Amino acid sequence: MAVDRASLEVRRGEVFTLLGPSGCGKTTTLRLVAGLERPDGGEIILRGRVVASVPRRVWVPPNRRNLGMVFQSYAIWPHMTVFDNVAYPLSLRGLGRAAIAERVARVLDLVGLAGMEARAATLLSGGQMQRLALCRALVYEPDLLLLDEPFSNLDAKLREQMRLELRLLQRRLGVTVLFVTHDQIEALSLSDRIAVMQRGRVEQVGPPRSLYEAPASAFVRDFLGSTVVLRGRVSAVDGSGVRVALNGALDGRALTGRSVAAAALSPGADVHLAIRPEDVEVDGAAGDALAGVIETLLFVGDRYEARVALGGAQRIILLLPRTREWKEGQAIALGFPPAAVSVWPA
Amino acid sequence: MAGVAAPASAARVGWRPDTASLACGAVLAVVVFGVVYPVLLVVIQSFQTALPGQPARYGLDGWRAALAEPALRSSLWNTLTVTFVRQLLSLPLAVAIAWLLARTDLPGRRWLEFAFWAAFFLPPLTVTLSWILLLDPEYGLVNTALAALPFVGKGPFDIYSFWGIVWVHVITGSLTVKVILLTPAFRNMNASFEEASRVAGAGTLRTAWRVTVPVMAPVIFSVLLLGTMVSLQTFEVEQVLGTPFRFFVFSTTIYDLLVTRVPRYDAATALAVLILLAMLPLIVAQQWATRGRRYTTVTGQFQNRVITLGAWRWPALAAMLAVVAVVLGVPIVFALVGTMMKLFGFFNVPEPWTLDNWKTVLGDDLFASALRNTVVLAVGTALAAVLLHSLIAYIAVRTRYAGRRLLDFISWLPFTVPGVILGLALLWLFLGTPLLRPLYGTTALLVIAGLISGMPLGVQIIKSGLMQLGGELEEASRIAGASWWTTYRRIVLRLMAPTLLAVGMITFVGAARNIANVALLSTTANRPLAILQLDYIAQKKLEEASVIACIIMFISLAGALAAHVLGVRGKVG
Repeated sequence: MAVDRASLEVRRGEVFTLLGPSGCGKTTTLRLVAGLERPDGGEIILRGRVVASVPRRVWVPPNRRNLGMVFQSYAIWPHMTVFDNVAYPLSLRGLGRAAIAERVARVLDLVGLAGMEARAATLLSGGQMQRLALCRALVYEPDLLLLDEPFSNLDAKLREQMRLELRLLQRRLGVTVLFVTHDQIEALSLSDRIAVMQRGRVEQVGPPRSLYEAPASAFVRDFLGSTVVLRGRVSAVDGSGVRVALNGALDGRALTGRSVAAAALSPGADVHLAIRPEDVEVDGAAGDALAGVIETLLFVGDRYEARVALGGAQRIILLLPRTREWKEGQAIALGFPPAAVSVWPA
Repeated sequence: MAGVAAPASAARVGWRPDTASLACGAVLAVVVFGVVYPVLLVVIQSFQTALPGQPARYGLDGWRAALAEPALRSSLWNTLTVTFVRQLLSLPLAVAIAWLLARTDLPGRRWLEFAFWAAFFLPPLTVTLSWILLLDPEYGLVNTALAALPFVGKGPFDIYSFWGIVWVHVITGSLTVKVILLTPAFRNMNASFEEASRVAGAGTLRTAWRVTVPVMAPVIFSVLLLGTMVSLQTFEVEQVLGTPFRFFVFSTTIYDLLVTRVPRYDAATALAVLILLAMLPLIVAQQWATRGRRYTTVTGQFQNRVITLGAWRWPALAAMLAVVAVVLGVPIVFALVGTMMKLFGFFNVPEPWTLDNWKTVLGDDLFASALRNTVVLAVGTALAAVLLHSLIAYIAVRTRYAGRRLLDFISWLPFTVPGVILGLALLWLFLGTPLLRPLYGTTALLVIAGLISGMPLGVQIIKSGLMQLGGELEEASRIAGASWWTTYRRIVLRLMAPTLLAVGMITFVGAARNIANVALLSTTANRPLAILQLDYIAQKKLEEASVIACIIMFISLAGALAAHVLGVRGKVG
């Protein structure tokens, strides 16, 4: 069972992303919408039209759903030229030769492939193939554009560039997009809303920022970005937050945080404390502080990545700014602002 | 605007509009009638002990005879030993040749690969006749040359022997088919496996032995199984070389039981059922061996660097040229030489050369009609095969039709039935079905026989071509708005065109030289060249037979060249 009890709604004109690790059911969901897979239950409604419904015994084949799709492999037909690839869906819709030529030229121009009409599709570079696949999916103005990991075959630089181009193009055309990826950066930067999926279920749906800052589950929290996690036991709960006494190597220290929504924590409960590494204040004054020692230091260009030992045993990964000098063995004080620390039931 | 509401789960779905389901059912029905029904007839016939023309009586006499008679048991033993020795000798050699062709910088390796292709297309009977000229114990050229040397009393070689049969088999079917199937597979292997081994400190040969061959083991295994199945089937070579010294294998024993004055259908079919039972596990193993394989299209993402042979380049080339001379050069040259001899095989008669054989054959009325029959037969079979085999392959690979696995399995069945028996079963099928009876004596009957006997190879080649195609190319067309039929026409058929043409060519050649399947089906009215050749041999007119063999050989080589130009190499396994 690849997808189970997933209920989603995509709004017109938005970029909606299915995000999750491989095997979470996101591609299956996309293929269900496309009509390339057949559901065993439930239904799919497109612009008010039921395209697949098990209870109502409705099944619309993919060619009658008016969708556009960019495949992971691009699926550019190698026996056709650039022009023929884009013209194919138009000729299926019975457009005249002149109309086809005009619309193909317009869409190719949109992505910077103008003048390449006669070229064999197999002679294109990876980035050009992707643009061509996009043209072919957009040229007939589909009701919904499906993107199946479209950037995964591109190198890092080109991926960034295509991400930006796709965002601009989507804004310009106002097309609704259902986007599937396992890459959190792609999801966060491109989406209006994201559905994080795991094992065939939807964990959380929301705008990128709220997902990042207020994840509803530990899975969403750890999948979107990195997290520093410490263990402890609740010592007090009051209006300013939850006071937690730390365990293990940090025995005797305490931090304050805010309890995640809906978690009723009472003193004595075992909890996890979570904070995004970039929210930890190095040598800052705010809130509670813990002493740490830099164990290893990696210079990664725009910043340092440091492994810091807290209390001799607990290790966390932190990002340190390039504006200061750091060295291994250096002692630092780490501030944990209560507003940035979330307390999760263990 | 798009909502996915609570699907309980999802299963993969292919194209299944209801018309497609009906079409799949129709194809399955045709294949069951054409393949399964004849096989059933064979099984039933093995229990039918009455003499031909008498009322049916059922019993186990045929089985008793097949299992008890020493002659039949010795044929079982002979089949197994010939098959085993053939595979034992040809497999290591084929692996070595495929490795040299695909993984090293051997000079002229593309040309050498084509030479193996061409050799694969040589008709076994033609090759057999050529080697008789060289290795006949009395008059063979090699033997007489060696006998002329001091201390050699008599020529040491005898082609009419167990090792003679094995020799001809190894250099015809066994070796070449393995080379042409293994070479593309070796070529598509990711070079980084080998490079990692080289970097770890292993030399070229150690890398080949410890990395390349084990990585390719599933492919090698599947090719071995295929080769075993093919060699359990052989007919012509044993018929020509084995009969003179009373050496029978399964297929020739069956033929012998059938062409006597009182045909013993029960024992012959019982033997056929034994082969069938021996083959079934091989089919299952073959499907198991190829099941988990990933068929990735070669995308050019990795460049396959080849291994530098260095000082071994020229010795390796010399060895390879020697092999090509044996498998391709000798058969072609001596097929031509043989046609121009006054007395086939006798080089020591005064003035041995003549063109009379060509004049006799070309002037023979039988030849003109046989040539016409062969052309009609080969073209008809090729066209029908492309259509039927591609449909079977497409259903098996691309649809979710419930019967697709059954269809796939049935497409292997013709491999399991000896050609002569398949011909016989079709004879029963056609004579026993009133609607089809008028087809007896027509070329259409032979086309159907060729269509069925070519099914395993044709379907497998198209299947692997389809698997390499990648489903997204079709899905993209469906999403773009094309129906199933439009997608099949405008995407699948266009992309598969080279493979389909190659299958057509292979079937064309197979039908042109098919003997085993049509031996019992042909009459004077529909007799093709291959059977005319067999008739000449039976009448001891080896000179005329050699002319026909030569003509069939050139038809086959033209087919090989065409298939090669069309750019598709063997992709089975």
